[in-house]
Amino acid sequence: MPFMQNLSNAVVLASTYILMAVGLTMVYGVLKVLHIAQAAVYTIGAFIGLLVFTWVGNFWLALAAAMLISGVIGVLIYRLTYHYMLDAPRTVPLIASIGMFVMFTDLLQKDFLMGPYQKALPAGGAGLPAVKTAWFSLAPKQLLILVVTAVLLVAVYFILTRTRIGLGWQAAAMDRDMAAAVGVNLNRVIAFNFFLGSALAGAAGVLVGVYNNSVFATMGDLPSYKAFIIIVLGGMGSLPGTIVASLLLAIVENFLVASIGYVLPRDAIAFLVLILMLMFRPHGLFGQE
Amino acid sequence: MSPALDIQQVSKRFGGLQALRDVSLQTEREILGLIGPNGAGKTTLFNVISGFLPPTGGEVHYAGHPIHGRRPHEIVALGIARTFQIVKPFGDLTVLENVLSGYGMSYYPGWRAFLERFRTPSSEAAARDLLEMTGLIAWVEAEASSLPIGLQRRLEIARALATGPEILLLDEPAAGLTAQEAEELAALIRQLYEQGIGLIVIEHNMTFAMNLCQRIIVLAQGEVIAEGSPTEVQANEQVINAYLGR
Amino acid sequence: MIIGGYVISVAVFVGIWVTLALSLNILTGYAGQVSLGHAAFFGIGAYTSAILSLRYGLPFWADLLGAIVVTGLVGMVLGLPSLRVRHDFLVLATMGINFVVVAVFKYVDFFGGAMGLVNIPAPSILGYSFRGGTPYLLLVWAFAFLTWLVSWYVSRTWTGLAFNILRIDEDAAAAVGVSVPRFKVYAFCISAALAGGAGSLYGHFIGSVFPDTFAFVESIAILSMVIFGGVGTLRGPILGAIILKAAPELLRVVGSYRFTLYGGLLVLMMLFQPMGLLGDDSFLWRNLTRFFHRRPEAEEVVS
Repeated sequence: MPFMQNLSNAVVLASTYILMAVGLTMVYGVLKVLHIAQAAVYTIGAFIGLLVFTWVGNFWLALAAAMLISGVIGVLIYRLTYHYMLDAPRTVPLIASIGMFVMFTDLLQKDFLMGPYQKALPAGGAGLPAVKTAWFSLAPKQLLILVVTAVLLVAVYFILTRTRIGLGWQAAAMDRDMAAAVGVNLNRVIAFNFFLGSALAGAAGVLVGVYNNSVFATMGDLPSYKAFIIIVLGGMGSLPGTIVASLLLAIVENFLVASIGYVLPRDAIAFLVLILMLMFRPHGLFGQE
Repeated sequence: MSPALDIQQVSKRFGGLQALRDVSLQTEREILGLIGPNGAGKTTLFNVISGFLPPTGGEVHYAGHPIHGRRPHEIVALGIARTFQIVKPFGDLTVLENVLSGYGMSYYPGWRAFLERFRTPSSEAAARDLLEMTGLIAWVEAEASSLPIGLQRRLEIARALATGPEILLLDEPAAGLTAQEAEELAALIRQLYEQGIGLIVIEHNMTFAMNLCQRIIVLAQGEVIAEGSPTEVQANEQVINAYLGR
Repeated sequence: MIIGGYVISVAVFVGIWVTLALSLNILTGYAGQVSLGHAAFFGIGAYTSAILSLRYGLPFWADLLGAIVVTGLVGMVLGLPSLRVRHDFLVLATMGINFVVVAVFKYVDFFGGAMGLVNIPAPSILGYSFRGGTPYLLLVWAFAFLTWLVSWYVSRTWTGLAFNILRIDEDAAAAVGVSVPRFKVYAFCISAALAGGAGSLYGHFIGSVFPDTFAFVESIAILSMVIFGGVGTLRGPILGAIILKAAPELLRVVGSYRFTLYGGLLVLMMLFQPMGLLGDDSFLWRNLTRFFHRRPEAEEVVS
């Protein structure tokens, strides 16, 4: 497959990672918690998207609903658990997150929710056209992912740099106690952070569900592991780093799989990259000491 | 007599920041004060000597052997121990266990660490003696984190002493102490000197440093700007300027 | 008296997982290296043992010993990332190691691929073959006891002290003469070796090994047992493993919601007893030890 087409496919793949990773890095930036339960939020987003789309038939409404509900669930998760664990040793919120992950995954597989099998989410390209250029072409679905991801990223950028609460997040990410001392309302910043990060995860779930035309209860597992790899690569808590790292990972995966094929599966490649990264550049490509 | 610690033209650079520039000093058995305004590089120098940082230039020799670039545990084994500017006790452990951890130094390398219990009558007795000498015996079984800061500093000194050093680096040992506690600390330091240990003391408390130290080296912006007896240094114009920020 | 086969099976599994939890406790509880990849060592032991018996025809004891030694050595190598990274980064690195190890089992033919290795011979001594049943139960719990003994012994030696202080403060530990890299490698080695032994016992009991048994999810389960029970204590991981391993079985009465409850249990524990059920400051432990404390000397009171 020609290089540019491969590249454009990689960018689309990266987009499916980026939203999840950005959500995760935002949470980590302030709380320093490995929010493993994010996988569940992603899946819930896809599920809500499926429900609303089946009910209403409109992709954009489904997306909005998924984001909203995912965001709310994210805040609830924070308020009911992590909120009480802010000063505990790191293993405590980690295990709590694991517990929530196990709980949600099991619940979601029940018949009254998602059931044990996959379901289709046939939103197609939501009315977007295909793109054909001299170097590469994009199916409507691919264009959809790129467009939505780009719009959301720009929105996040504006929120973080132009609003008070966004600036509060940046302060809190640098130094939580200092931020509190200068009057940042930590509770509100963290809650907002969780809302936004979870909404992004929910959006990611919907987009991937639409792209693969498949929604199932354990769909959040692999993206969530990849997202962790990405936030390490990009430097935990750094947004531009996360974006670049997502692109890098997607490119490496795409090109390596094309050449090496099945010596090791694509996922193991990602983890090898992680380990090497941690050994030689533990603070990621852009992180700081 | 303790072997000579010889620091030759040591420099340390962190990215764009030159923390130490061509610092040289020699010390044998004495109470040497290391003073200077904030950011002068005093703790950085300690970090280089004790192996926590490698120098970007220059060398450190001890008893004739090069020690620059060696790891901290190797340097402790050679006979140079240190305390930290912000005290670092093993909080969950008792005072006694904190001191015992220093005694382990002869066991940690090699297989003996697996073969010996760390609480034996002899190890505990040695630790208790040390706690007597440093005035901590009353808190033997207390959890280290429950001690007030002055005692924690003293504990850190005791722990360092347990490693059997010939040279002891004390980083702001008097910080946060009352006048009474500072006086007791000075007495302890003099006692250690009498016992044959060489000491380098970083201090911000001028009275404390001037009364205690036999010789003073002044560091400013990473360079040695003065050296001499307390009286000489106090009268030195460069030193005064450095502190007044000129 | 005949103990039902099902009960014995559960008891064998619990014994194996108690070993796993105790071995992880040495690494995470004593030396403070939080690992989300312990199942990898479990798997390496199981596979080593299976290969030694299937491909080289070695008897059971050689398989067990081989598993312990090989896993211990591999553990030292896989522990190298801990020399470069700490805390959350280490958690992710160990997670990554787990994935890579399982991928190797799955995709490299030598290890049987996704089909795993089957028909592992039952262990036998002096011609008497015993797979399952009370003898095997005793064997497994003997190994669990051995693991406990090693943990107890290490905690009393200078090595145990070194582990503890490097967990509390690496720099301060180095300043009292502890070579932090060396002791981290020791911790990985011992912890992995014991887990490898558990793997061998597991493989010979089931008679086959499959890659997915040793996946990341299992590492999560083992770590949960340690922390649920009380990380860093000798008693905690035992109770944690017993409860959390037996729970899904016992909870069969709740039918298909047992993992929901399991997950919920973990969350509740972290909210209300983050130090673990039998951790030093836990409700249970404080009340249990109240019966065994001597009265403190009374004179420090009033005057």
